[in-house]
Amino acid sequence: MKNRSFTYLLIALLLGTFSSCNDTLDVEPKNKVPAEAVLSDPSGIRSYLANMYYELPVEDFVYFPRAGFNARGNTGSLSLSQYGLEAIHSEWPNWNEFNNQWWGRGYQLNRDINLLEESAAKVDFSEAERKGIEGEIAFLRAYTYYGLVKRYGGVPIVTENQDYTTDWESLRVPRNTEKETWDFVLAQLDIAFEKLPETRQSVDESKRRATKWAAAGLKSRVALHAASVAKYWDRAPLSGEAVSAGLVGMPASEANRYYQEAIAASEAVINSGQFGLYMSSPANPQEAAKNYQKLFMEPNDALTEVLFMKGYGYAGGPLAHDYDGWNNPNQTGEGFPHVGRTNPVLELVDQYESYEHPGEAAPIVTTTDGQVQLGEFNPSAEYLRFASPEEIFEGKDARFFASVIHPGAEWKGTEIVIQGGIVRPDGSVLSTKGSVEHNGTTYHAYGAATTNQYSGFDGTPNMTRTGFLMKKFLDEGASINTWLQSTTDFIDIRYAEVLLNYAEAVAESGLGNADLAAQGLNAIRRRAGHTVDIPLTLENVLRERSVELAFENKEYWDLIRRRTYHQIFNNYVKTALVPMLDLRGEEPAYIYIRKKVPGAQPNTFPERDYYRSIPGVNNNGVIQNPQH
Amino acid sequence: MKSIKTLSIALLSLFLLGGCELNELDNYEGPNASINGGIYDQETGELIQQDIINGMQIEYTEHGYDNPQIQYVVVKNDGTYRNNLMFAGTYTIRPVRGNFVPVESEEIVVKGNTVKNFEVQPYIRVRNVQIEKQGNKVVATFNLDQTVTNKVSRIGLFAHQEPTVGAPLNAVASVVNFNQVSNDVTQYRLEINLEANSGNLKPGNKYYFRVGALIDAPEAKYNYAPPVLLEI
Repeated sequence: MKNRSFTYLLIALLLGTFSSCNDTLDVEPKNKVPAEAVLSDPSGIRSYLANMYYELPVEDFVYFPRAGFNARGNTGSLSLSQYGLEAIHSEWPNWNEFNNQWWGRGYQLNRDINLLEESAAKVDFSEAERKGIEGEIAFLRAYTYYGLVKRYGGVPIVTENQDYTTDWESLRVPRNTEKETWDFVLAQLDIAFEKLPETRQSVDESKRRATKWAAAGLKSRVALHAASVAKYWDRAPLSGEAVSAGLVGMPASEANRYYQEAIAASEAVINSGQFGLYMSSPANPQEAAKNYQKLFMEPNDALTEVLFMKGYGYAGGPLAHDYDGWNNPNQTGEGFPHVGRTNPVLELVDQYESYEHPGEAAPIVTTTDGQVQLGEFNPSAEYLRFASPEEIFEGKDARFFASVIHPGAEWKGTEIVIQGGIVRPDGSVLSTKGSVEHNGTTYHAYGAATTNQYSGFDGTPNMTRTGFLMKKFLDEGASINTWLQSTTDFIDIRYAEVLLNYAEAVAESGLGNADLAAQGLNAIRRRAGHTVDIPLTLENVLRERSVELAFENKEYWDLIRRRTYHQIFNNYVKTALVPMLDLRGEEPAYIYIRKKVPGAQPNTFPERDYYRSIPGVNNNGVIQNPQH
Repeated sequence: MKSIKTLSIALLSLFLLGGCELNELDNYEGPNASINGGIYDQETGELIQQDIINGMQIEYTEHGYDNPQIQYVVVKNDGTYRNNLMFAGTYTIRPVRGNFVPVESEEIVVKGNTVKNFEVQPYIRVRNVQIEKQGNKVVATFNLDQTVTNKVSRIGLFAHQEPTVGAPLNAVASVVNFNQVSNDVTQYRLEINLEANSGNLKPGNKYYFRVGALIDAPEAKYNYAPPVLLEI
């Protein structure tokens, strides 16, 4: 009996399982909006658009080459500026994984754009609205393909939505050439420029959503990148199937055409009269430093300089970021668990001019012979002696003081103590934790007795290992004691960059208006407190670019597009400036040692990394980049 | 009852195992062949010195597959190479991105212990190298015998504690941007000042010194003379 009931039960269950295919469970989920409902309605399309701006590859406060875009949480704060000659990471000075992938996410965004275009064509918009949406789609598409082409070279251009099918071959789109891809991006920007409005309903919206001027600004950047790749490909030529098919690389004969495009787009912005430099004529360098700091701390007060920006908000929520947390000095860490990560290197600090010698880099001189050379502390060398730690930086460009926290700088009302050791009266060195008694006073190796009173050199990840900390973008008024408290907006495209793009394109090609380019270059310098104009030379433009745009995630791409990465990073160690308290003289004095960043090993950039490896070539069938 | 239970468990196990093909072992054979050899100067028959970091590589693809992945072997500093984990088969093989005039790819059959040497024309032969300590300097003198008409873009003297010393791996380098065609009679000279580099080259220690010259050609690598060990 028992056995039988079990069998019946089993049969009943089986019967139930196989015959229960009716529609009662096929309900529309209540917590999701179906695609057709969103994309068939103008306001639905607008909210769909908002997400696309979020997904756009803007290299901002939440972009890290390893963790990707919109990366929050424990990213390690391995930012793009630590890869080049701007900074180094305090915890991982030897991080050299040039991982910078955006293939999968890039094509997801591309698909979203294609879906939008397909649906928008069916929706009932007014004529003006339709033109705006079409312009916006072109802008988003250009931004997306720019993110792809600068990483991978030529990529498959897919502008129609692909429907799922088991006919795999039809889904496999081969790569376009690098030239075709750059030309596609520029053509999309021309469409965007033609169709987009000059301004939108509010100032906020005009600066955060694509406009004619955002398109022109982006085009100035894109065309300069393409021109540089064409001009400098020969500095690091590659070979292989991808090269012979033109998928990576462009002939030098294309360079001037792209420079001309960069010149035209920049001139459109300059001649529009809509933009200017924020606080363009300061009374003195101190005022210039305050203005320049504010441009990045309060970008919404400086909108005259903004062509396109990315907003953040809602402290504590997913639209905030952690730039302040990761980068405050240890002394003003305020309880955030990881601080002091981005450490500016001496190479950048040296680039900032001195007002006494306009038009040339002003390397930090540490010895009485005026020579600038690297090395450990040498007891017989004659070091310049300073009574206070900040004296050595006197007379440097205002932007140095606004972008970098140096030893002895005042930040959030605190004097930032950065000291790498003590030279004892007998000439021996103390560079580990400890103290020296001298004439009745106790001197500490790192400048203070306890860990929370200093910000450098004890070898822990919260301390700088270069002698400097980053200041640009940090909010001096904020107190950050937990995650996601920063809401500073990020200026993606600003007027100063357009002026510098213009100056570089003119200096490189000899095309365009050299006087206008020199005016732009010197306007940027005047805003930084300079009073002497300098001539338009490539060297001047590149130095100006590196100091004006420091930490804005541009320099990495400058090294890539100008093919100088492998020339600089060839068995190369970045350098630090180590302040030491010298007790040998009558009075204690600060001396400075220029040396390789402690703990950093030589780094070599492999030439194949001018292009990233394409993931999944076995499935997508595209030709892989050289040597990957 | 018990038998049904046992049967269900047995059936279930069978399905699960069958479904995941856990009963099939990965019983493919491992690599069963090896290849080794060297990059030789076709004229002098000497091995051609290389770099390990960013150095030349040997590219090979295995025949018999639709979309074969390109594989690489790195060549050692002395110009030899070895891969002990090869699958027997037919390959297209070619040394690439080297310090010699590019060569065509070849087809080879790899089986057992295959020896494959490449005879190439180095861009530059660095000859008559003398590296000596003179006072507080290390001085290198050498001749350059270039086999192509391109310019020599750089010449350098490199020092490091490892014999793998070269342009991509050194503690101290003395590099001159040469940018001219060299001739084989001039004696070229490079120096490293030991006093100025005392932080990196500590007195009383032994270091390897190596002279190199780089031709101005796409993807070219330095040509070197063998390293010399000196106590300073």
